[in-house]
Amino acid sequence: MLTKKGKYGLKALVHLSRLPAGQLAFVGDIARANNIPKKFLDAILAELRNAGFVQSRKGKEGGYRLARSPSEIKVGHIVRVLDGPLAPIPCASRTRYEPCDDCDEATCQVRHMMLEVRHAIAEVLDNRSLAEMRDTTNDDLDLPQLQQA
Amino acid sequence: MTGAPRRTIAIVGGGASGVILAAHLMKVSGGNVRASVIERDPRIGRGIAYSTELPEHRLNVAASRMSAFTEDPSHLLSWFRNKYPEARDEPGRFLQRREYGQYLADVFAAAAASASGSGGLVHIKAECASIVQVPGGLELRLSNGTSLASQIAILATGHDPGPHPDRGFASAGASVPPIDCDRRVVILGSGLSMIDAWLTLQARGHRGEIVAVSRRGLLPLPHGEHRNPIKLDRADIPFGTELSYFVRWFSDLIDEREAAGGDWRDVIDGIRPFNQQIWRDWPISAKRRFLSHAKAWWDVHRHRIAPDVHARAHEAIADGKLRLIAGKVSDIADRGNRTADLVVRLRRSGDRIALQDVSVLDCTGIIRDPATGSNPLISSLITAGMARTDPLRIGLDVTPDCAIVNFRGEPSDRLFAIGPLTRGTFFEIDAVPEIREQCQRLAVGLVG
Repeated sequence: MLTKKGKYGLKALVHLSRLPAGQLAFVGDIARANNIPKKFLDAILAELRNAGFVQSRKGKEGGYRLARSPSEIKVGHIVRVLDGPLAPIPCASRTRYEPCDDCDEATCQVRHMMLEVRHAIAEVLDNRSLAEMRDTTNDDLDLPQLQQA
Repeated sequence: MTGAPRRTIAIVGGGASGVILAAHLMKVSGGNVRASVIERDPRIGRGIAYSTELPEHRLNVAASRMSAFTEDPSHLLSWFRNKYPEARDEPGRFLQRREYGQYLADVFAAAAASASGSGGLVHIKAECASIVQVPGGLELRLSNGTSLASQIAILATGHDPGPHPDRGFASAGASVPPIDCDRRVVILGSGLSMIDAWLTLQARGHRGEIVAVSRRGLLPLPHGEHRNPIKLDRADIPFGTELSYFVRWFSDLIDEREAAGGDWRDVIDGIRPFNQQIWRDWPISAKRRFLSHAKAWWDVHRHRIAPDVHARAHEAIADGKLRLIAGKVSDIADRGNRTADLVVRLRRSGDRIALQDVSVLDCTGIIRDPATGSNPLISSLITAGMARTDPLRIGLDVTPDCAIVNFRGEPSDRLFAIGPLTRGTFFEIDAVPEIREQCQRLAVGLVG
């Protein structure tokens, strides 16, 4: 599941992707515009900087900007950094695997289906760039129509 | 479909990648392809890798993983049992490279036999000097004065063995020029090619000191007893991150594995199916950093050698017959006839040491800028604008479908490349397990 951390991080990156290339944004401005607690956003942006998605500059003229073009950054790559392996349930991850204490994996049909869901999540998120996410029509009603077309 | 137009395909280079591609083309084409492999060496399938006749030169990958066909993993072992019924054959065995060269020659012969009467597969014993565009296709001009018309050409020229432009000594590896047995030999590089050259000198009974010089002085590490790759899913891997972040994740994975009683090899082997995607998704800054800072470490862990060869090398070091120096050659005074005076700046102390009047073998590795390489065909294609180097200058710029990209950035629908030439796009494309998959995808894409 996408945590709040993942959601806020994606929102902040969409915010940065709307700026002219190279322009920096203050954390406070990003936080206010997207309704994110500033302290939390500080921590999120620091992680995104460590992973190489954003760059920061200190001081009065400081702030954050994208480290590369939003068309080169895949949404799935951001989510893995913020939320860990793309797994809908901990037992569906290999590196961050945690067994459930209340079921037997060998016979668990739920886990089996969640492995398929994991694959589907990666299929969607690894094939969408930050630029595409930014430019998507923001209307839920469009989705089923798009798929039928 | 019957009556479909027959396609003509020329493969330039008859080493491992050219032969494996030819076999896949014949397999998927249903008789609708006429393929020619242009290879000067009368012994097809040998290339640089499998030309050696020395039994000490063995594969660095176990036979169970070296079949020419991904979907038929036991193909090589069945061939081996058939060919050498008297040989003891344990799975996981590291075959002699000349045996593998023979296997490739037989794979080619079988593909040609299966295609005779329909499309056809032939070996043209010549070198391709240039390729020009003509109406309806390509014309390949050959060293024997003839030319070949083809709708499609695929470059499979492999590693460039020519002299490195900065050093001027022809690359050595398994094949080493004659050297007086008592001379001191300096081998530049300490990787797989150095091991090959050292084995050749050993087999000739070389008595002089052998010194290997490389920036970090790292020897390839040995394979483990059993291959036990960890299971990974692409959902787990932090694609698209900067190198430092990725390296931290990867080191943690190794630490966890070792803490659980496993081996670092399990992690290196477990990540291998994802190496091409990791490379593709890295930003160019991460690729650059990897090549300059991490590749030497990666290579000794990823490109391992048979355990007994590793043990022999360590024994030779202990006996003082092989000396390993971590340092950088800061000066070369060429004395002609592959001999030189060298100055080496040591990595740790920064001291300079002189190695006077030594025979030099260049085993510094196989990654070259193709624009300044020794292959006239590649440089002529770049000069003509039909090809260009990739942004890192380690291969030709190709699409994920292996189409060669021209100077304007447009992919060709006639000119393709496979194997090490496509390193800039795929990176993990030196060894048969990846090359056979690339060949299969390209064959299906072209004629399937």
